[in-house]
Parts: sequence; structure tokens; C-alpha cells
Amino acid sequence: MATELFRAHVLVCAGAACVSSGCREIRDAFVIKIREHGLQDEIKIIETGCVGSCDLGPLALVYPEGVFYQKLKPADVEEIVTEHLLKGRIVERLLYKEPLTAKAVPSLKSIDFFKYQEKIVLRNCGIINPLNIEEYIARDGYMALAKVLTSMTQDEVIDEVMRSGLRGRGGGGFPTGLKWKFARQAEGKVKYVVCNADEGDPGAFMDRSVLEGDPHSVIEAMAIAGYAIGANQGYIYVRAEYPLAIERLTWAINQAREYQFLGKNIFETGFDFDVDIRIGAGAFVCGEETALMISIEGKRGEPRPRPPYPVVKGLFDSPTLLNNVETFANIPVIILKGADWYAQFGTEKSKGTKVFALAGAVNNTGLVEVPMGTKLGDLIFNIGGGIKNNKKFKAAQLGGPSGGCIPIQYLNTPIDYESVTQLGAIVGSGGLIVADEDTCMVDFARFFLDFTQDESCGKCPPCRIGTKRMLEILTRITHGEGEEGDIDRLIELATRIKQSALCGLGQTAPNPVLSTLRFFRDEYEEHIRDKKCRAGVCSSLFDAPCQNACPTDQNAWGYVTLISEGRFREAIEVIKADNPFPGVCGRVCFHPCESKCRRRQIDEPVAICALKRFVADYDRNTFEPFKPDVAPSNNKKVAIIGAGPAGLTAAYYLACKGYKVTVYEALSVAGGMLAVGIPDYRLPRDILDYEIKAITDLGVEIKYNTVLGKDITIEGLLKDGYNAILIATGAHKGQKLNIFGEDAEGVLDGVTFLRNLNLGKPVKVEGNVAVIGGGNVAIDAARSALRLGAKEVFILYRREKEDMPAYREEIKEAEQEGVKIYTLVAPKRIIEKDGKVIAIECVRMSLGEFDAGGRRKPLPIEGSEFVIPADTVIAAIGQVPDTSFINGDGIKVAKNGTIEVDTKNLATSKPGIFAAGDNVRGPASVVEAIADGKKSASAIDIYLGGDGVITKSYRDELLSLRVSYNEEEYQKERPREEIPHLPLSERYKNFKEVVLGYPLKKAIEEAKRCLHCYIREEE
Amino acid sequence: MELEHQCQCAQINEEELYPKLEEMIEQHRGKPTELIMALHKAQNLFGYLPKKAQEIISERLNVPISTVCGVISFYSFFSTVPKGRHSIRVCLGTACYVRGSQQTLERIEKELNIKVGGTTEDRRFSLDVVRCIGACGLAPAMLVDNDVYGRVKSTKIMDILKKYE
Repeated sequence: MATELFRAHVLVCAGAACVSSGCREIRDAFVIKIREHGLQDEIKIIETGCVGSCDLGPLALVYPEGVFYQKLKPADVEEIVTEHLLKGRIVERLLYKEPLTAKAVPSLKSIDFFKYQEKIVLRNCGIINPLNIEEYIARDGYMALAKVLTSMTQDEVIDEVMRSGLRGRGGGGFPTGLKWKFARQAEGKVKYVVCNADEGDPGAFMDRSVLEGDPHSVIEAMAIAGYAIGANQGYIYVRAEYPLAIERLTWAINQAREYQFLGKNIFETGFDFDVDIRIGAGAFVCGEETALMISIEGKRGEPRPRPPYPVVKGLFDSPTLLNNVETFANIPVIILKGADWYAQFGTEKSKGTKVFALAGAVNNTGLVEVPMGTKLGDLIFNIGGGIKNNKKFKAAQLGGPSGGCIPIQYLNTPIDYESVTQLGAIVGSGGLIVADEDTCMVDFARFFLDFTQDESCGKCPPCRIGTKRMLEILTRITHGEGEEGDIDRLIELATRIKQSALCGLGQTAPNPVLSTLRFFRDEYEEHIRDKKCRAGVCSSLFDAPCQNACPTDQNAWGYVTLISEGRFREAIEVIKADNPFPGVCGRVCFHPCESKCRRRQIDEPVAICALKRFVADYDRNTFEPFKPDVAPSNNKKVAIIGAGPAGLTAAYYLACKGYKVTVYEALSVAGGMLAVGIPDYRLPRDILDYEIKAITDLGVEIKYNTVLGKDITIEGLLKDGYNAILIATGAHKGQKLNIFGEDAEGVLDGVTFLRNLNLGKPVKVEGNVAVIGGGNVAIDAARSALRLGAKEVFILYRREKEDMPAYREEIKEAEQEGVKIYTLVAPKRIIEKDGKVIAIECVRMSLGEFDAGGRRKPLPIEGSEFVIPADTVIAAIGQVPDTSFINGDGIKVAKNGTIEVDTKNLATSKPGIFAAGDNVRGPASVVEAIADGKKSASAIDIYLGGDGVITKSYRDELLSLRVSYNEEEYQKERPREEIPHLPLSERYKNFKEVVLGYPLKKAIEEAKRCLHCYIREEE
Repeated sequence: MELEHQCQCAQINEEELYPKLEEMIEQHRGKPTELIMALHKAQNLFGYLPKKAQEIISERLNVPISTVCGVISFYSFFSTVPKGRHSIRVCLGTACYVRGSQQTLERIEKELNIKVGGTTEDRRFSLDVVRCIGACGLAPAMLVDNDVYGRVKSTKIMDILKKYE
């Protein structure tokens, strides 16, 4: 064989995913360009199997350097050839960029996705050309077969496999060596080796990658197994859905025969062995071993009871050894490197590595191979690169339709057979689907059951009928027709099916339901009782996801459609039916509606929040702004304590219902955190004052400078004749840092700082300002300090930037304005001189295990202390409600200071007293406070004999509304209308509003981007 | 074995294909265990499994026709009714489901005015669902004949289908 020498190799991934991304065109471009530059004798192009990082394809690797080029287009190839291959200069623009830092990473080995992997099964995938047996041989291929045939006895081979600790990778986890031993001991003249390549679990595709990228490793392993147990014939059962795998496997078998690694008298040892392919025909149940063998026999693939096990009586009633592709792919390495080498990877009971197919809501999808025992969180966040689109992780589904979910509080779970099983999931074949907040767990369970129900072969009644009944119940629940008792019925059916089904398919079919019930029972209950799907998936339960996502149940789709038609007056009517603060929310809301907007699937969500602001501002500037209808007085009095968004919202709705409402406010201004927490550049005071005035215009009286517990008491108010009282005092107490020197002059807490600033009290900010914390208060304080003339403002945060709870847009604005953010830093002590702060001693942090909320815990790195000079320190590490005014009133308060309420109606433990907003939830958002205000108003109305209906619904007329413009034009890709911002140069040393509103024309154009997903076709 | 779609029913009269079928299944003669392989070949040839083809296979492989029918009805890959010239198969595997393949499917149903399992009146397209084609990294995915399309946005579907006449 002639050996050709090349200066460089270009590897083009030709895995099925890359083929569909267009890798063939890339390869062709390389061939042409390399020829054009006369490099064909120096540079070799190799088409490889799957590299694993399917999301980045088409891709090319250039060796000897190992440079990784991603997301290539044919036009990029010219540059790689002229720059890299001719001049040796790496083409930076085509390299992989770290998602967080946008730093280019040239080498495959330093990309996070590959860095943490340990490749045994996938050792050759993406490295060799699967169609060339010599490349396999060059990487020690068929050496293991030679070794066992020439120097090992059958028992020695089995012993080696046993000692390696390898367990079946198809899902069962049965010790492979033991299975081999049983097959060897089984009596029978003819024995068979079968490879299960009917990889049917949706979400798992490692077997396909091995077959496509390294088919010889499976063939070699089957021959080794044949020798060990005394079989001369093997079958590979491949599913018909994998045409490329079938093609390459067929090719490889023919090559192996040609090289006499298969056939008669292999290596002249007298051992005969051959392999044939059998193709499935789309029956999931054929992945079950007994069904698979029956299918190989050409019959209906219905499972049969075990025992007898296949090792005793299998294919054609002969002893049969059945392993799956991944299990086999481990064998040649174990034989060559030894059991001890293999057993160094993994945990005590789960040895070696496992390939996972990482898919779903993660940034990096693809195949990854990691040592057994790798933590789930590391797999998702280090290798997977975290959750797509900054969404929140909800659960990882392992093991497909037979498996279960692992929720956020278990991210530290090591993935091995035992730990995963303990949580009600299974390692299974290694499908790992990441679900984020947009996944409805009830619907997820329904999806899996729909799958198993569909694939049930029908032989045994528990599976055939039982799963059908379960599916019916789940479908009902997701359609909003769930009933009390459904959960118990599901559990009972599930238990019975597990006990009585004939084969693995049926026995494990209920697992996804049981698992989601175990960790997400509240979601089931919400569907059944409240007819609510928090993920916005079960569309029978709502009109549009925007409204479903809004805590105030704001009909966003309705007003957006009205704006698109220029019907602004009606739009504000619709808005104010559910929210008395549109001007405020249009500026400071974190708009959960937008994150669920269907438009997101095409390009960007509709700018719902900015549209609300537009119409609120428009209405305010008309001659006769909107006023709600007020019912005649019902002679009942309600006292509300606290004039924040929760209290004032309740006041608005109660006043409209005819109540006489008095609001007691401790400060000299109304608005709560809206007035004293949010700086003017985000929410100008006149906007807030206008919306508060609209409430007082309804007859609501606000009594300022009146403090509960000092100037008034609950008992006193009741004596004064109030029929009900709402406590909505917010969370205004800043938390202490609890470090040395905190009392020095120049150390402030964030809430107090912003309050004093907003109340016009003198605030001194000098020199270097350090803000500690990562929430919205920290950002507000930092941007305010900058405007007050600080020399330099920096934020110290103990975790990483993406962990900051502050809104993304706010963080971005702050950085643009010049605020520096230092992450992974925590203050240790304040250094003072003459009682005044001069610096902070900080310590660097590293991130350790995951906490229950799914974030990594920051841990101080010893000896990493350093000092930052600072003239002012603002601590903004959170605030708590101050409910010290409650004592002996019979109102229950939790340990953290929040008031305990019945979540259904916000009633406290004392009749007639209700509580809403931050003093119930802890610090939360404006829109949640408004939602609480509405809920409490309705509950108070019911308590006082009313019907509890406080809002007017425009639903029916809005649903029948049809637009007059050409919708199709706007449903093509079309980015959102840009929201105007105040130029940076005009923000210096003033508190002018930064984000500006849409002009009229732009607002209408933007509103037209709505997909009108609330319009449902008649079923 | 090559699974590439070789259906030529649109061009050639079905009758003319039977000699070819006989030739193709010759190697399976008298081997009942190779029934599924023979059926695959027949379906690739005709695009579906006509009754006459079933009878020929039954006779050649020495399998009762009832058994042949039983096997055909068991496996979802086999069809006894003619399909469209191009098969669209939308993946409803887990990863695709999480990334919204249901919307893709609904869009195709709406655009082609057929339901899953149906064929358009002009026999241009047949629509089916599959459970995972192993392109999870590119979810949502669909197959048109043997071409895999990844990251299928519902707005781009018609552009893809335009390529298949």
C-alpha cells in the first residue's frame, strides 16, 4: 500500500446533521479551491463522521493545527484556502466564538463543548473517513480482534469485559461481561451475536453517529463477541429511518470481508464470523430485545415474555447475545487498553463513559461523551453552554419515553445509573432533552404518552388500553377539561400498567407521567383547577400567550391589534380595564408578554411594552383622556395602607365599584417604589403623578405622612368604621452587608440612597463609587450615581454577569453609560480613615455547586483578597418588607417578614384584613404588585358582599376584530421597529428620560407585526 | 442495501415493474425470514405495496399471504396505498417537539390542505410524521424524501417545498 504524505488535512464533517446543513457543498468548494491553487498534492480532504457539535455545522477542521471552523458557507472556503492553507494565517472570522465573551477560540480542544469530553466510544467519529477501512486500521482498528484471536482464550476475553465494569448502554444497564458469560455458558450448537441499532428513543442519536462515523468499531466488536461466546453469525438490526447509516455499514461490512476481518478463517486462526444487516420498518417496540429478534425472523415484532432470556433462547430459538451499538463500540478499546484503564473512568458502580445526545433548549446541541458520574449541571451549563435565549432552565428529560425528568434543584446529581434512577429517571440510551420555562410539563408528559400509546404493539391489554386511558386523561387536562381526581386516576393507572405490562415498553410507559407528577404536580393542579398553563403551551387554556404570561391578565393582543388599526382610544380602554398604570408599565415593566410572543419564532417579539407606552402617552395628551366608569357609592369604606402600585391599583378598582377608599401613605409622596425607588431617567415623575391623579380623581383620598403603627393602627382603623383593610406597605428596608466597617461615613444602602435622591434630599456622591449587588436597585443606584457626578462607578457582583437578576436592557444601558461591572467579586471589609470610607477589601469568588434555584454558589477564593479605592459604597444586595408594625393584631407574619395570606384571595389570618404586593411576595416587580392589587380588590368586593367582578372584558368583540391591512406583508421576516433612545451625550449629569417613545407611524407599523395568533381556525 | 427512493410509478406503468420485482427478490426465494427485506425492496420499487406485489412475495418466499399482510400492517414504514411523488416527514421527536415542530406540521397541513397520512390531490406530496430522525441538534427537523432539513421555521417551509415538483 502506497503511503501518501500530506502537509495538511482538511476534515469536513459529514454527519447526517451536517449533510443537511450543506457540508457537501463545502467539501466540493474545498476540492475546487485546493485544485485552483495547485495544492492537491499537499493537502488532503477527508469526509468524516459526526464531530458532535451539530449546531455549528457545516464545519471543517484543519490539521496539524486542529483549527476548528464553523457555520461555513461555500464562499468562505476561498479565504480558508488562501489565508490558512497558503499563508498559515488563521481566519478568525470563521472561528467558534464563546457565547458569553464573544472571544474567538481557534482550537477544537479549547472549546467548552469539547474540552470537558472524554472520547472512547466516539474516538474515531469526526477523525477518520468512515468509508476507508485503512483509516480505521491506522487507528489500531482490528488490532483488538487480532489480539483476542491470537493471544486470548474465550474466558479471558469475557473476564476482561467483566472487569472493565461496562454496563449495557441501551438503557438496561445490565453488566455486559455477565451477559457474555451467560451466552457462553448457554447450551446450543448455533449461537448468534446481535447488535441492536434500532435506536428508537426520540432524542437519542449516538448509535447513528457511531454507525455513520465509525462502523468498523461495531463490526470488530461483534466479531470479538462472536469469538468469546462461540458464535459465527452476527446481525445488525438498523432502523429504516437511518439510510446513511445503512449505506455506510453495508460498505464497511463489504470492506471487512474483503480484508478478511469477516468471513472464514479470520487471521488464519480457524475462527469464522460474518455479519448481516437487517432493516427495521418503523416499529419502536422492535428496540425491545425479544421483539427485535422476532422482527429479524421476518415476523410482526411483538415482544414475548421473559424468561427464557435471549442468552438462553433467542434468535431462531438459539442462544443469542444482544448488545447495542454504543456498548459494542467500547469493546475494542477495553481489549486493547485493558479493563483497568477503562475502569478508571466513571463512578464505583458505573464505569467508563456515556454518550449523551444533548438537545432541546441548550445553546450547544449535539453528541457529547463524558465520564459516568459527570454532574447534570456541568453537562448542561459547561458543555451545553447554558439555556438558549437566556431562558430559565426547568428540567432535563433523560431516557426518552421510558425515562423521567430531573428538575432544577438536582443539578448537582452525578449522572450514573444509580443516582439517576433514584430520581425517577433513567440513563436510558442517553437522550438528554433540556426543557426551559417555555415547556409545559403536563403537555411534555402527554407528548411521551402519545408516543408510547402510538407505538404500543397491542399485544397486551395493560399497555394497549391502559396507556390509551392515561392519554385521554392527559389530553383532557391539557385542553382545560381536567377534573378533580384526575391526578389520582393517573397514578393508579400508571401503577397498574407498570406491574402488569408484558414488555419494557409498557412497563416504563407511565414513567414520564409519574416523574412529572413527582416534581411538577403544581403544574397539573394549575391546569385542572385554575385552567392555567404557565408555560403558554396548552393553547386551549388561553387566547394568546402574551395575555397568558401577564400577571395582570392584560389583553395585550387586543390593544396591539387596535393600535395597528389606529384605534388608540379603544386601545387605552382595553389596557385600563386591566391596568391603571399603562404609562408606568410601558416604561418599567419587564414584559413577560414579549418573552412568550409567538413572533419570536420568526424574528423578534412584538414590542408590546413600548406600544403600551405609546398609547398611554397618546391618550394623556388628548383633550379628553380616558376615564373609567364609576359605580354609585355603596356607602362602604375601605382603608388601604401604602400608596404603592399594589395599594393604588386596589384603590382604583374599589373606587370604580363604588367604595369610599382612603389610602394611608407613610411618605410625603405617593407611588411607593415607583416614586422613591425608580430614578427619573427611567420613569419621569410627571408620568407617575398623572396616573396617580387619575386614581384620586375617582374620589380616592391619600393621607400622606401617616405611618402604620405610629400614627394609625389596624384596630383604630376598624374602629373608625372601615369595612375592610388592605395592607400594601411594600419592601423598603435595605439589607445589611454584615461586614466590618459598614457604619463608616460614605457607606449607604441602595434603597435609602434612591429614596433620598427621589425625595429631593441632599445626596452626596463623590469620587469613586462602588455599588455592591446585581439587581435592579444596584443598576439604578449606579446609573444615578454617574448622573450625580461620580468620577467612576463600578458594580461589584459575586456571580457572573448572566446571573445578575437585573433586567438585561438595564445592564446594557448602564455599561454604555460607563458603569463598569466587576463580576466574581465580593466585599470582605470596608477600609475607613477617620471614620470615612476610603476603600473596600474584596475577595475573588469562584462558582461551585448549583443551589436550589439553579445558580452556582459563589465561594471565596482564599488568598485572592485585593483592595479597591472607593469614596462612596452603595450596598444594594436586596430589600425586605418591614412589617414590624404588626404585633398582636392577629395577623400572621412569616420569618422573613412577609405577611402570610391565602393565595387564592390574599386574605390574612384576620378577617377583613387583606395584604398585597411586596409585603406578601418579597421584593418583586411592578406588574406583579398591580396583579395583587387587582386580586385583592376583587376579594375585598366579595368579602363585602359584591360579585368580585372588577374588570370589563372586551374579549368577544376583540376576537371578532379583523384588520384592514395586508397581513402577509408583515408576517415575513421583519425586525421590530427600533425604539428611540436619548443619545449618550445628552445623558450626562441629568435625569432626562433615556428610553423614548415610538412616534405614531412607527407604533402602527410595529403593531402590525402581531401574528394574531389568537385567531383560531374552527375545528 | 440502498434505500434511496427509486419510485418510478409516475413515469412507468406499474405492470412493467413486476419482472424487475421478481428479479430483485430472487435472492430471498424460499426464505421466510427475509420477508421484511423483500417488502422494503418492493416498496422502494413501487412507492407502496400493491396487492399483486404482496402476492408475488408471498409465493416466492413461501409465506402465507395472511402473514404478509400481518407484517405489512404492523410496521408503519409500509404502505398499501399509493403515496405522493415526494414524501414529507415531519419529525415529532422530543427535541423537535421542544423546539416547536408541532407548528411546522400545522403550517404544512394548512398550506397543502392535507392531514397527516394524506396525499395531495395532484399526488405531489404525502405528509407523515416520524418519531425522531436523529437530527435533534438541528431541531425542528423534517425530511423531504431523503433530504434532511434542520431548523425549519414555519415561514420557510414553502420555500423548501418549492424545490420538489
